Amino acid sequence: MATSESKTPFATGSNPSNPFLQGPALYALVTAYLVVVPILAIGNMMSNPRPSLIADILFLGLLGSFLVLHKAPVSMTYKGVAAAILLGAVLPFFGTFNQFYMDVMIQIAMFCVLATGLNVVVGFAGLLDLGYIAFYAVGAYTWAIVSTGQANNFISGGHFPLGPEWFFVFLPITLVVGAIFGVLLGLPVLRLKGDYLAIVTLGFGEVIRVLLTNLDRPINITNGAQGIKDIGQPPLFLNPIFNAFGLDLNRAQTVQLHFYVLVAVILLTMLLVVYRLSVSRIGRAWTAIREDETAAIAMGIPLVRMKLLAFVTGASFAGAMGMVFAAKQTFVNPPTFDLIRSINILAMVILGGMGSIPGVLLGAALVTLLNLQILPRITAELEARTNLPSTLDPAQYQRLIFGLMLVLMTIFRPQGLLPEERRKEELHGVVPPDPADIPTKPDDDSAPSSSSPTGSGGSGA
Amino acid sequence: MATQSEAGAISAGTRRTTRMLLNQIFGPLLQILYFVIGSAVILGTIVILLAFLLQGTRSDINLLQGTLIILPQVIVDSLVRGFLYAMIALGYTMVYGVLEFINFAHGEIFMVGAFVVAGFGLMLNSAGILGDFPGILFVIISVLLGAAVSGILAVSVERVAYRPLRNSPKLVLLISTIGMSLVLQDLVRIIATSTPLGFNARVLTPDLGSAIRLATLPNPGGNDINVIIDARSMIFILASIVMLIFLNYLVNVTRVGKAMRAVAQDRPTASLMGINVNNIIALTFLVGGALGGAAGVLFGIRVQAINPYVGFLPGLKAFTAAVLGGIGNITGAMVGGIVLGFLEAFVASYLSLFTAGAFAGANYADIAAFSILIIILIFKPEGLLGEATVQKV
Amino acid sequence: MSLLELQNVHTYYGNIHALKGVSITVNEGEVVTLIGSNGAGKSTTLRTISGLLRPRLGEVLFKGKRIDRMPPHDIVQLGIAQSPEGRRIFPRLTVLENLELGAYIHNSNSPEYRRDLERVFDLFPRLRERYTQKGGTLSGGEQQMLAIGRALMTRPSVILLDEPSMGLAPVLVEQIFDIVQEINAQGTTVLLVEQNAHMALAIAHRAYVLQTGMIVLENTAEAVAKDETVQKAYLGLD
Repeated sequence: MATSESKTPFATGSNPSNPFLQGPALYALVTAYLVVVPILAIGNMMSNPRPSLIADILFLGLLGSFLVLHKAPVSMTYKGVAAAILLGAVLPFFGTFNQFYMDVMIQIAMFCVLATGLNVVVGFAGLLDLGYIAFYAVGAYTWAIVSTGQANNFISGGHFPLGPEWFFVFLPITLVVGAIFGVLLGLPVLRLKGDYLAIVTLGFGEVIRVLLTNLDRPINITNGAQGIKDIGQPPLFLNPIFNAFGLDLNRAQTVQLHFYVLVAVILLTMLLVVYRLSVSRIGRAWTAIREDETAAIAMGIPLVRMKLLAFVTGASFAGAMGMVFAAKQTFVNPPTFDLIRSINILAMVILGGMGSIPGVLLGAALVTLLNLQILPRITAELEARTNLPSTLDPAQYQRLIFGLMLVLMTIFRPQGLLPEERRKEELHGVVPPDPADIPTKPDDDSAPSSSSPTGSGGSGA
Repeated sequence: MATQSEAGAISAGTRRTTRMLLNQIFGPLLQILYFVIGSAVILGTIVILLAFLLQGTRSDINLLQGTLIILPQVIVDSLVRGFLYAMIALGYTMVYGVLEFINFAHGEIFMVGAFVVAGFGLMLNSAGILGDFPGILFVIISVLLGAAVSGILAVSVERVAYRPLRNSPKLVLLISTIGMSLVLQDLVRIIATSTPLGFNARVLTPDLGSAIRLATLPNPGGNDINVIIDARSMIFILASIVMLIFLNYLVNVTRVGKAMRAVAQDRPTASLMGINVNNIIALTFLVGGALGGAAGVLFGIRVQAINPYVGFLPGLKAFTAAVLGGIGNITGAMVGGIVLGFLEAFVASYLSLFTAGAFAGANYADIAAFSILIIILIFKPEGLLGEATVQKV
Repeated sequence: MSLLELQNVHTYYGNIHALKGVSITVNEGEVVTLIGSNGAGKSTTLRTISGLLRPRLGEVLFKGKRIDRMPPHDIVQLGIAQSPEGRRIFPRLTVLENLELGAYIHNSNSPEYRRDLERVFDLFPRLRERYTQKGGTLSGGEQQMLAIGRALMTRPSVILLDEPSMGLAPVLVEQIFDIVQEINAQGTTVLLVEQNAHMALAIAHRAYVLQTGMIVLENTAEAVAKDETVQKAYLGLD
């Protein structure tokens, strides 16, 4: 996978005592990677634009560039410039050769937005939201309803469907709609204890899904289980630019490029917002709430307001991304938004590392790749080589794989693949060792110093 | 073990009377009975009043008459749902009582029970003896089988996925239980699809008897109303009651039951009493899992068609029931199950009747359940049987 | 040979070094008291003996056998009972059920069990009056009696008492200490942890003074009570 192959050469790079990976040598090596891999990947595309095992590996290597950039101890300017070139030129160019890879990239970016949003809720504020997909659904259905004739069923006047130019009007609207739903759910439930919150949000997610399925009667708002099709797409506003560059693109490529740009812009905006939040007073308040609610209250942190803010931040971006999703798929139906999607996003956050922005981006990329590319590729390769019965098709094992991923990660690496420093300790057991358990396990010398012993025994009296 | 507590007390006039014993075993059931009657009367009155008020809004049928005709059947349905949720809710509540976390995988433990009876029925069928198998024996064997499989599974899950995390933050543990739930769903799916059971498994049973007519009510406007209960629902209700009696005996009377309650209240101190806390926790999972599995078997027998995902919704609602009754409280879980079952069955049956089919009641019953959950958690998080009578396992 | 012995015990809470090489000896039939201020490590010492905590270094010996790697429920079986700090009775179980749990490791059909129960009820007549009451509804003093009684029900050869006088009215404190002496007279060895050094030294045979995780003084109770620093620091005398 992208992680292991690209991480290894630089694992030691972060160690400044290694003279080889310092200064010019380091930059040369990183630059070499960033030049060679894209050339190989694009070259391969030029000779044969169809997906293949080689193309898949090169594609992973290409995406791994970001990880290399993140891990390598190069200057921020270098990182920024390299990332901009990759995002702005290399990846979209690569994507024009093959719609499938382009789609994977767009989906990765979309899930990055969702995972980052959920990370604000789960990772920053420590609130387990299992109904996160509901906000996505709300955004998706909002656009689906107004950009088709569906809205005429309950708003008279026949203004609908709205044209593509309305897309950019509705992008902020869905952001707000997501936020409103965040407040609606958040206000009553955010006083609840952690595990109750999880189950209530899960229930909320289900309620939204059931409503979407059933609100075709008495008034047809959502078109029920059939879903809504022919959803409007955004205007192709970049066409003049493409034409100016003399790019010769077909319709599908143009549409994909537009989504690429759109999603990338939303993602970058969101990352900026979330990053600024996380280093602000608000971010510190979230950390305080996560680590010790009572102490946070004692320090004068407005608990519910801060939790609500986390909830709303996550919800609003999910709403906007839901709209983009609806426009991209041109079709939505209720099963798209079931619990397993929420858990999928949760898996991204856990895999990458709760509370770590680079971590959840990696998590989102890995899980999306696993879903869209790696599992189908393994299946294809197995089918080509062996006589595999269709029931053993790895692509069908999503639940098993994500379930195992969640269990194994929580047991063996709760801080995730790319953890945030502070969280490492915290997730390895804030709860003091339970005396009753001590006999079953060997001494844990790594227990954090922050832990306070159970009960009153800690005072040592 | 039965006599241990009595023995406690020969001295000094502290003998435990038979009455106390009976009270410990049947007291909770009496409470359930109160709630059954209460729910039936209150909800029945509400729908009849509504029918009066809405009389005439529907031209096609006589609303009042329609309401009355289906009422007995709705109550039977309420009981079945109620006991289903009660049995599953016990698993949540017992685990919560001891370890204070929500075991998301419990719905899947229940589902496994349903697959056990499907497998058992299929085996008997392929051996050609299903048709002649005595119905009652079939039910007993499959309930025991399902309870054993699910109980052992629950213990293994705890050992593998939860115990290593006992000192981790609650959030992390919760995520592990979600993961386990997905793993179990898929494992069962793999097993089911690679055997003749298939993804949509049919639960084959011998003939379990036909519907029983409980009573005939005179109906002045036409045909008499027969109150009928089908055999499978009857089996469900009776078997649930038997198991609840057994559970109350186990928890309130036996030595291990006392140890379970002690562990729930104070783990370190329980270990100072010589109680092996890990064993008691495993036992809690065993008992909770076994009840869930037994409920799964009965559910399978009743609905006769299952798939690997059938555990999710009942699991979620049973959790609601556990919260409704007061999580951690055994009697509360049973009562919560009953109340939720009644509410749901009434919503499911009467919502479409009163709105002339504009709202499909069956679907909105789910929403009713979750709304109850949210309302309870916000306004009365300690549940129906508030702290005063809490008897935590 | 001593009944209970701690040799150079180091116990940690996470990275906090709570006991820094504590060595204590308790001989059969003695009342030994461990005094010290808040946070000195007194409760930690008892929790280490009963297995609730594991020492990282050092040994705990009971009748010459190492017990520091054993789980608490096995240590109880050997005959070490603890009445924990803060009493920790089971609030939603009745008085009788609490006592029954104390006898969890014994066959409760046996005549010995009945004798134990009788003994506890004789020591604490209040418990007899309230045996059907829920533990949580008892007063502080009654809860303390229940905690001691429950520990006695395990039929211990040594009983570890953690601050039995804490939060009790002076009359009750007096009563509790009388009972501790009575228990000792009936043949149970006592290791008593106390902040009320005055009372503890009055009934103990020997005493240890614990300060920030280390034993700073060890002698007969009489001698310790006369020690100048002890008088200043723990007995409030000038």
